[in-house]
Amino acid sequence: MLECGTVSRVTTEAAEALERRIDELRTAVRQAVSAGDAERARVLRAELRRAENEWDQALEDIAEQQAEKATPVRPTAPLLPLREQVHQALVLLGAPAAPKLIIAVHEAFQVGEMVPARLTSLRRDEERSFRSAPNSRPCYLCPALTYDLLAPARGLLAVSTWPMERRIVGPLSPRVDFLTSAIRLAEHVERLPNPSPAAIRLLWRFAANIPDAAAGPDGTSPSGVLRAAKAELEIHADADRSHREAAAKRAKKQLDNVSQLFGSQLREVGAAAQ
Amino acid sequence: MQNDTDTRLRRLRGPVQPKRHNARTIAALTSNPGCARRGVCDAAGVDKDALAARVGFPVRAGQSQFAITRGNAFEAQVKADGCAELLTLLREVLNLEITEVGYTNLDEVGGNDSQDLRHAHSRATLLAAAAGRDDAGTLFDHPLLRMEVAGNGVYLEPDLIAFQYAGIFHVIEIKSFAVIDGQADGGKVASAAIQSAVYVHALRRLLGSDDAVSSDIVLVCPKDFSNKPCATKVDVRKQLIVLKHQLNRLAGIDTLLDALPPAVSLNLAKDDADRPVRTPAELVEALGCIPARYSPECLASCELAFFCRDEAAGETAVLGKSVREELGGVDTVAAALGLAAGSLLPSDEQAEITALLRATARIYGESATTAATSVGSAPLLAQAAA
Repeated sequence: MLECGTVSRVTTEAAEALERRIDELRTAVRQAVSAGDAERARVLRAELRRAENEWDQALEDIAEQQAEKATPVRPTAPLLPLREQVHQALVLLGAPAAPKLIIAVHEAFQVGEMVPARLTSLRRDEERSFRSAPNSRPCYLCPALTYDLLAPARGLLAVSTWPMERRIVGPLSPRVDFLTSAIRLAEHVERLPNPSPAAIRLLWRFAANIPDAAAGPDGTSPSGVLRAAKAELEIHADADRSHREAAAKRAKKQLDNVSQLFGSQLREVGAAAQ
Repeated sequence: MQNDTDTRLRRLRGPVQPKRHNARTIAALTSNPGCARRGVCDAAGVDKDALAARVGFPVRAGQSQFAITRGNAFEAQVKADGCAELLTLLREVLNLEITEVGYTNLDEVGGNDSQDLRHAHSRATLLAAAAGRDDAGTLFDHPLLRMEVAGNGVYLEPDLIAFQYAGIFHVIEIKSFAVIDGQADGGKVASAAIQSAVYVHALRRLLGSDDAVSSDIVLVCPKDFSNKPCATKVDVRKQLIVLKHQLNRLAGIDTLLDALPPAVSLNLAKDDADRPVRTPAELVEALGCIPARYSPECLASCELAFFCRDEAAGETAVLGKSVREELGGVDTVAAALGLAAGSLLPSDEQAEITALLRATARIYGESATTAATSVGSAPLLAQAAA
């Protein structure tokens, strides 16, 4: 940055010097013409044109440098590929999550930008990769499965290495997963020596919708969120677990390897719906 | 009898597919229950939009793309993270118990979003919830309901239905207009209420019991100038009564049809050479046979409103419902002015309103004269009077 600024100052000074020179040359040309010295006027005119060209060039340089300065400095490019970043966010949350939440978690704890559009194609890519060479990667990002039809749940991502129970979504699971994520997040924030404002904001987003978790955005403490979320989780956990376990047992019995990860792909589901 | 009505309606519409209703169009039915033209067109499933365009009064309106996007974004925010924000609101407004967090997404059935399938699935799920099964769930996202309107099945999709263990369903409507300082735009609340009333009605039909669905709906809107949602209960009993009346009226469309000449046809079909079968002039004539009841409110809800306004030019109805009611028996503006000026003689029924009109004219004339004499304010008042 310093070097860029130095160069810019140098260029501006050069342009100013040229302007002075052009003025002097113009005066000299006028004086030569008045004195009837045609030869000297011709030489001076040529010099004036050269100075003007140089001045144009200097202006262009300044414009270029300004444009360079205007483009924001991009944050350090993430070192990990997208699927690894998503994987990290999901591991932190410990439950199936929607792309929006994954992005929020990523932005709160990691550097670099996550593009929502790329997340949508991720799931398809993962499935294609698994179908062409099954189990060639240590883990896959796959959809959560609905407990009734074992079909991919809309807009929820999970990790293939999680036990089947955790990847199933029953009627109580959205709330249970929300509370589980709140607990994991609070634990993570508690571990950090200096949590970022984005992390605190994310924690408040959870705390605001858990009874008695926090008094306000400023009063959000990880321990308060932990206590409140655990208290509510206790109420739903047993019922939710029984739904999930029953569905997981069914899934393991009925589905093949691919469907166990990516959901039942049957289009004829009329009989099951009735 | 029903077959006879169907045949007559089909003849009126011509050999084209009937236009399907949705919650908005059903809600619009209730805004002007006295209009026979709207009633007949809706019962016959005439494409009013296309008809208005054919007779030279195309409608330029429609919901803005920005409004739709904003609405969807707000709905997604409220429903994010397992309806976290919504649950917090419902715990306050409906006193939802802390155990009540079940969420069932009825947006699709196993990756399939065919309407018949979704309706069957929604129906099965909601009936199971009403029967009190243990795993019934509390929130039902985008169930697909079905209702008969004038003999045609209509699919309706409420934003959300909440179920309380007391056995009562509540329709929840998520709208993106703001509630500022506890006040929202009256017109928007009214249209949200009537739309929700359509859902309440359809849900009551599905469950076969009026008591199972509360007449209080929950309206969720952004609070003040923020994106934070707030919820309010809105009583839609009045809207339900109007809606039922209008739906019954559509069913009893025979009386309206009886009053029409048998040859009336609003056929918008095209022949083999892609030429419209009926000319605009013929369509205008046919529309003229069906009495309309124009009021300025129609402009907000009916595709034919511009045509009717043009047709009603010079009538007292154009000045609004209150003027029309005040001037009962005096149909045109010219007649009202004539009675006031004394150039027309009133009939016996018009005696009372004539006295009123003359008194008004006298007071108005006096104040105009006074205003004209007082220098300075005269031009302003004259302008206001004009």
